[in-house]
Formats: sequence, C-alpha cells, structure tokens
Amino acid sequence: MTCAVRLKGPKKSQPNKKMRANDSSRRLSTALTFGVALVLCAAGAQGAETSIPHGTLELVAENQWVTPGHEFSLGLHFQLEKGWHIYWVNPGDSGEPPRVTWQLPPGLSPGVIEWPAPRRLGTSSIVDFGYEDAVTLIVPVNADSSLAAQPLARLGAEIKVLICREMCIPGKTELSLTLPVKSRPPAADPRTRDLFAATRKELPRPAPQDWKFTVNDAGDSFVLAANVTPQITQAIFFPLAEAQIDNSAPQILRPLAPGFRLTLRKSDRLLKPIERLKGVLVLSGNHAYLIDVPVTKRGAQRSNSGSGIQEIQSSREGPVK
Amino acid sequence: MKRSTLHAMLVAVVICTAPLLVLAARVGQVAPDFTATASNGKTFRLNDYRGKYLVLEWHNNGCPYVGKHYRSGNMQRLQKEWTGRSVVWFTIISSAPGKQGYVTASEENEYLTKMHAAPTAALLDPTGEIGHLYDAKTSPQMVVINPQGIVIYDGAIDDRPTTDLSDIAGATNYVNLALEQAMDGKQVQTPATRPYGCSVKYPDSTH
Repeated sequence: MTCAVRLKGPKKSQPNKKMRANDSSRRLSTALTFGVALVLCAAGAQGAETSIPHGTLELVAENQWVTPGHEFSLGLHFQLEKGWHIYWVNPGDSGEPPRVTWQLPPGLSPGVIEWPAPRRLGTSSIVDFGYEDAVTLIVPVNADSSLAAQPLARLGAEIKVLICREMCIPGKTELSLTLPVKSRPPAADPRTRDLFAATRKELPRPAPQDWKFTVNDAGDSFVLAANVTPQITQAIFFPLAEAQIDNSAPQILRPLAPGFRLTLRKSDRLLKPIERLKGVLVLSGNHAYLIDVPVTKRGAQRSNSGSGIQEIQSSREGPVK
Repeated sequence: MKRSTLHAMLVAVVICTAPLLVLAARVGQVAPDFTATASNGKTFRLNDYRGKYLVLEWHNNGCPYVGKHYRSGNMQRLQKEWTGRSVVWFTIISSAPGKQGYVTASEENEYLTKMHAAPTAALLDPTGEIGHLYDAKTSPQMVVINPQGIVIYDGAIDDRPTTDLSDIAGATNYVNLALEQAMDGKQVQTPATRPYGCSVKYPDSTH
C-alpha cells in the first residue's frame, strides 16, 4: 500500500461524539494525523493505517513477503495525541490493554504480543501502566511450512483499544495488510526496519546471568533485592499479574554495595501468598529486564524503617494530574 | 470497633498527609463508617445499617465501563434484585466538581429516573472522602459488607473487564456470588479482585 493511499483514508473508525463536538481539536488532530503520516512516508514505513480516538494505528510488517516455514513479525504502531495514553498488558489500577483478534489465512498463526516496558501514569492515588505518544506492539507470526506460495495473503486484525487522558474512550477498528507468500528466504522491508529495530530496543530482556535477585515476603511488602554491579539510582518494578503490589504506593529504592533493594508495598487485594514475583524491572538508563523470582519468607523484616542509608522514591513517572 | 479506636483513626485521617492506605477498607476487616448526603437530600450513615447486607457501587455516568452496565440494564437488575431481598445498595459518586461524572443532586435524580436505576440511595462524595476511605480506584468498583459490618467483597463487578455490552451475558458476577455465598452461610470464595473501569475522578488537590 502506498503512502498516497494511506493519506486519503485515515478516518475509518467512528470518532466519538465528544470528539466531533470539538471542531478545533479535530482539525488539530487531523493536522497531526497528516503530519504523522507524512513523517512515516518520508521514513518509508509501509502498512495500513486507520484512525482511533485521539490517534492513529498502523499495521506494518517487518518482512517484504511471507516465507513458509519461517516466523515473521507484524507491528501495531500507535501514534497518540499529546496527553493521551493506552495500556500495558497489566494496565494497573484502571484501564484495559489493547486486544487484537487476528484474521489470518490458514497456515499462519499469531504469537503473543511483545510488550515494550511501560511507564507509570496517573495520579498519586491511582497509578496505571501504559504508553504515551507512540508505541509499537510486535506480534510474531508463524508461517507453516505447508503454506502454499500465493500472490497475496490478507493479514487482518480487529483491534479494541481504550484510549485515556482524564477520561477514557474505547476504540474499535479493523486493519489489514496484504503480503505475497514466496518460497524465497525472508527479506526485511527497508521501510519498516528502523521502526522494528527501535521497538526491539525497548523490549525488556532477560537480566544478565550473574545478577542474582531475591524477593522476600516482609509481611506488608515484598523486598526485591539484586546484587547488580552498576550503580543503580533508579528502579521501577512493573508486576505482570494484577493485584499483587499496591500500584500507587511509592517504590522505595535503597542502594546497597553492591546492588540495591526495592520495597514494594503489597496490594490490599492480595489475600494469599504468591510463589513467584514476575514482571519488568526498569533500571537507571531505561534498561528494562524481565524478572521471575521465587518469593521467600525470612521472618518479619521491617520495611521502610528509618536508617542512615539514602532512600530514593520512584520518579520515572508520567505527568501527575 | 471500639469507639476510642475509631476516634484515633479519625484523628489520624485529619493529621495524616501521607497516603491513607493503611486506613482504607480491607476485605475481612470492619468497613469504615461514613456519613453522606444522598441526591434525594437525605443523610445516610453506614453504621446505621448493621444487621443488613450492603453493596457500595462506585459510579461515573460518563465512564464507558459504567455505561456498559447501565445501558444493558445489568446494574439496574442487580439493584432491584438485591434491594428486593433487603440488601441496602449505595451508589457512590466520588467525581470532583468539573470532572467527568460529577453531578448535582438534581442531575443525579434525573439520571436515576431516566435509567430506571433502583439503588437505596445515590450518595454524593464530591470531596472524594468516601472514595479514599475505601481506596476506590475505578468505576464501577463494588464493595459488599455483611450484617456484622465486615467487608466480604471488594473489586470488580464481574470477570469481563471490557466496555462491550456483549460481555455481560456469560460473565461471572462477583457481587451476586458474594451475596449468595454469604447468605447461604458459606465463605465467599472470591473476596477480592482487581476492580476494572475508569479511574475515580478525585479532586486534584487530595493526596
């Protein structure tokens, strides 16, 4: 699909009535949409684009064609108006993550979304986990080796997404992309190479093997400790499961030599002990790591008790409204 | 709860500028008492209803998740069924003036009539005091309190955290389950879930 075609039809989904009522903001959003589209054209991105409330959504492919027997990646690129956000797989205190229903030809099977590390958003009493500005959700797709070569395979997706600022607007849209199926080895599409490369940089990765993590159940909190060598001045933990930690409670970082200790207040809704704490740990410099640590109980260690050691509260937060 | 303990807690509320989380309602503990003015002009005090089951429903008429349960008639059906079985049902509006879901008493009365809603009363909480007392995060968040004044459920209305009306049929309704199990003399099997919906629109200045 060419850029010229995309520029003509970016308003497929139903804008909310409230949006319609505000003409000037719509004009601005249209201008932004076209601006974004132009930038993407200039960068050479390919794909199908549609509007969502207060933003646009584009479906892009990493490769130029589908090769039977090989996995390839699709990307859902969200571009949001300033101040609006969508949600991570665990949305936090409110909201809902985007949901995708794929319509793929037989022989193509989608994997799970690879979620970039989120940000803390919201107020001091209600904290959500999500993305502002722009984010790309990569979905690996497996192409069965029995898939027959064909000139065009239609890759369709129905996306439900909640977009919020002070208020929330649910959006629902459909997108599709057509790619040829060829028996030739896969080849990256130069138009989307930068987008996929930049997105992969944002994906949480396994922590280095020599980093040792422990999680202690200290009654009203979990204490996550790590013996990492670099000096850590910032650490934020994003739990994969809901209702394990109190999302809005400050996460108290205590640098140790070596490593650090991060105190995470438990959720009031966590009524049973958990065996493992899984999530994404974002450390100084925006390095995000996937961690999955068994929870041990070593007596009732008092958390947050005063000591001479400097304590740092999590500060990598979105705008507090 | 002893009166002296309650007084100590109230003093703590006044002097504590740190998060009030320690004092917020918790499953298995006594539901914090409050007094509120309803849209019908009457005053309601939680502790006056000891001996009855209570349901607290956090509400925001502009929230699409609340809309799902009102446009489908699901919330009204629950209100009618349970108030018909002597349960006291308080709809609570903790939106601050100027924020989504804030209503005056007469606007709320119009809404209740238009939607054929049937709570015992709709309580106006524009300061967010009751919301914070229960650490309400979302609309619709649901709390169930037993006749002894103990919180026996806190969380989502059901197990389908979406805005789709089609998700109501077939959903497991946690409020029904909690009330049915408790009234049968059983332990509530799912006493706490993540409440889903829109964030409660508290005043900017609090916390």
